[in-house]
Amino acid sequence: MITVFLAKSIITMNASMPRAEAVAVRDGKILETGTLESLQPWLSKYDHKIDEQFKNSFIIPGLIDPHLHPSMAAVLLPTYFITAMEWKMPWGTTPATRSAAEYDERLKEALSTPTHGELFITWGHHALWHGPISRSRINSIDSKKPIIVWNRSFHELCMNDAALDLLDIKESDVKNATQIDFERGRFYEIGLGYAIQKLNPYILAPEVFKDGLLKLKEVVHFGGQTTIADMAVGLFDLETELKTQNDLYEVDDNPFRVELVAHSTVMQQGNSVEDAEKLISELPSRNSHRLNFRKRVKLFTDGAFFAQVAQLLEPGYIDGHQGEWLSTPEQFEENTRVFWNKGYAIHVHCTGDLGLELAVDTLEKMQEEKPRFNHGFTIEHFGFSTPEQVFRLSKLGANISANVYYVHELSEIYSNDSVGFERASSMARIGSSFREGITTTLHSDFTMAPAQPLMSMWVAVNRINEKGNLMCQEECITPQQGLEAITINAARVLGLDHEIGSIRAGKKADFTILEEDPLNIDPIKIKDIDIKATVFEGKVFSLKSQ
Amino acid sequence: MIPVTVIAGYLGSGKTTLINKFLVEASSPIAVLVNDFGELDIDSKLIDNEESLTLSLTNGCVCCKLSDDIGASLESLKNRDISAVVIEASGVSLPIKIANYGLSWPGFTLNAIITVVDGQSIARLLKDKFVMHTVKNQIQQADAVLLNRSNNLPLEELHKFTTNVIDENEISDFSDLILKEYSPIQLVKEGTTDHASFRTSVFTSNKPVNKEKIKEYFLSNPNIQRAKGWIKEEDGSCFLLQMTPSECNFSFSNSNNETRIVIIYIGEGLPALKL
Repeated sequence: MITVFLAKSIITMNASMPRAEAVAVRDGKILETGTLESLQPWLSKYDHKIDEQFKNSFIIPGLIDPHLHPSMAAVLLPTYFITAMEWKMPWGTTPATRSAAEYDERLKEALSTPTHGELFITWGHHALWHGPISRSRINSIDSKKPIIVWNRSFHELCMNDAALDLLDIKESDVKNATQIDFERGRFYEIGLGYAIQKLNPYILAPEVFKDGLLKLKEVVHFGGQTTIADMAVGLFDLETELKTQNDLYEVDDNPFRVELVAHSTVMQQGNSVEDAEKLISELPSRNSHRLNFRKRVKLFTDGAFFAQVAQLLEPGYIDGHQGEWLSTPEQFEENTRVFWNKGYAIHVHCTGDLGLELAVDTLEKMQEEKPRFNHGFTIEHFGFSTPEQVFRLSKLGANISANVYYVHELSEIYSNDSVGFERASSMARIGSSFREGITTTLHSDFTMAPAQPLMSMWVAVNRINEKGNLMCQEECITPQQGLEAITINAARVLGLDHEIGSIRAGKKADFTILEEDPLNIDPIKIKDIDIKATVFEGKVFSLKSQ
Repeated sequence: MIPVTVIAGYLGSGKTTLINKFLVEASSPIAVLVNDFGELDIDSKLIDNEESLTLSLTNGCVCCKLSDDIGASLESLKNRDISAVVIEASGVSLPIKIANYGLSWPGFTLNAIITVVDGQSIARLLKDKFVMHTVKNQIQQADAVLLNRSNNLPLEELHKFTTNVIDENEISDFSDLILKEYSPIQLVKEGTTDHASFRTSVFTSNKPVNKEKIKEYFLSNPNIQRAKGWIKEEDGSCFLLQMTPSECNFSFSNSNNETRIVIIYIGEGLPALKL
């Protein structure tokens, strides 16, 4: 049976037929796109029904987030969000909380919603907005209920008396520890590691982890996504992650597929890189319909962007501190060579321009040793860069997957306190990458940014930061480019552009249904467009009105 | 409290060789934690003492992994009969970050940071566009720098960053290295970031100082996390100072060092030390 979906307009992202009004679907695949009239050669020959539920809406290709971390999300989502930025979630919007008094008020109200059994965990505290946190401050809100306040950066947490008691953390045990402030209930860096050991039975309890992955399922659907990529499988434990995702996502009512990319450092634990490659090459034998490994691997150059340990070219950070490497340049090159020579698409985590320089130099060396075309070498995150690096990436045939949300959340504060306006305003330099013809996509790295491709598109098109300032108009992209980034380009970066990412005959019937036309709306409203439903391989999954 | 010694140094500098020497010579059980990926190069045949053990760990920051392999390993060692822990840092680790385990994990204390330098490659590494800062920090954050393959190395290159250099050829007993006391830490002033919130300052004086006054100063400034150094009293006697947040110890020394104390603290600043 053929189903024909009618729409006010279908934005196909297929340059040969950019707009249509009807799309015919059979067995989860697109037969043809066009008008009811042009579809007649199919419709006159086979049984069909006309589905008019989207006739006043806009159909775009199913949205794709090519880089997020389901396991991290599974830990975070069961916590209660009290955040400085607004977070739209399927179960309700977390409003922006911007003062200490407001924070305490929210926390007090939140306590009636359990998060981790007897323990209550909230995430999102940021001293800049919410004032310094301490044991006594939490005690004054509630000293009987065990409460953990986890910092937005993940680098620090704070407990009240009841939580210290519940986790059996005694002053006598920790009094010499320099990164534990028992008096104030604060645990950071190495001290955080100690606290997490104690917390793991709560945050990694199988039922909590499962609940977190189920919440992520709602989040992914809510963001209008039909494909996501888990860009570092093995972060916690490969077998547990695969089994849980398989149990929860390989089911008929799951509206998306997960592309799996192995974390090479984890696979190398105790192995040579050649052995790690062998292990990774065997992973596709475990593929199922929705969950697939392919010839892809994740490598890393420099440290985290949010923690200001990206490696920078001269003149570096204003305060003179240095970034960090996640492996030596020699090890990075050796690993790249093994995977390059075996024909892998290599996804490289790069946040700073010196980290990027290492990736570009290494790619150049690989191209000299063994030239490859359409090789899928992809720069992940793309925080700081130079225009010259963008030019070289173009010549070397690399792709870019940018976390453009950095511009929104961090460009103001990094202008003032980290690297200055010139470099902060041009972070995620994607206007340049489009001009150089580089295949460029956008990702959330959820939970670093909301898992909402329309939000990423909105930031990329407008480059408005949290203070409302326009950051580097020259690097804004057009709405057309923004939509390419979160559909067809994302498919290209994942090596799936022959199957998904646009609406044309032969591709999978993955659609996202919008209430407004994202290419003809005031660009400042792109992030607020209502998503009515998604269609995954021909099956409709409605969303409650948002 | 179990003492933790951090062995740092760039890839290929000779960390594993040094650790193998510890294992050969160790007379009491020690635990070796290897914070690097790739094959484990510690020669298990060298672990004569059945109580000694090595553990391999993954690299990574606790906030990105929600697990802490070094911490978990230390926790598992607490109840074992271990006399010392040696952590082999990865080639790109900043030693001070690994040393924080010694300072901050309950039940352990920091003994020393030893950075191994390969005399054949150090001059090149200190000019390398990718790792020059990493290698410089590894040298500057060490209590002692152990120089390997020192032939042909212009020592003045290294002395630009530290004077605390031990030539490998001059060492007779390697297990001494994890048990002996070091002269004061050579440190640079660090910037503050989310990751490294420690600052350091160095106090020096040519005039005699008073132990009790120094003790009072340390114990009345709770943001001081650790201090180590030499002090010289009026009568010319010299003491090694070791300070942690809970105690301030002076041990008599036969040496004749001038007063020099390295102070590690958290926060905005320290009141001046007046004597």
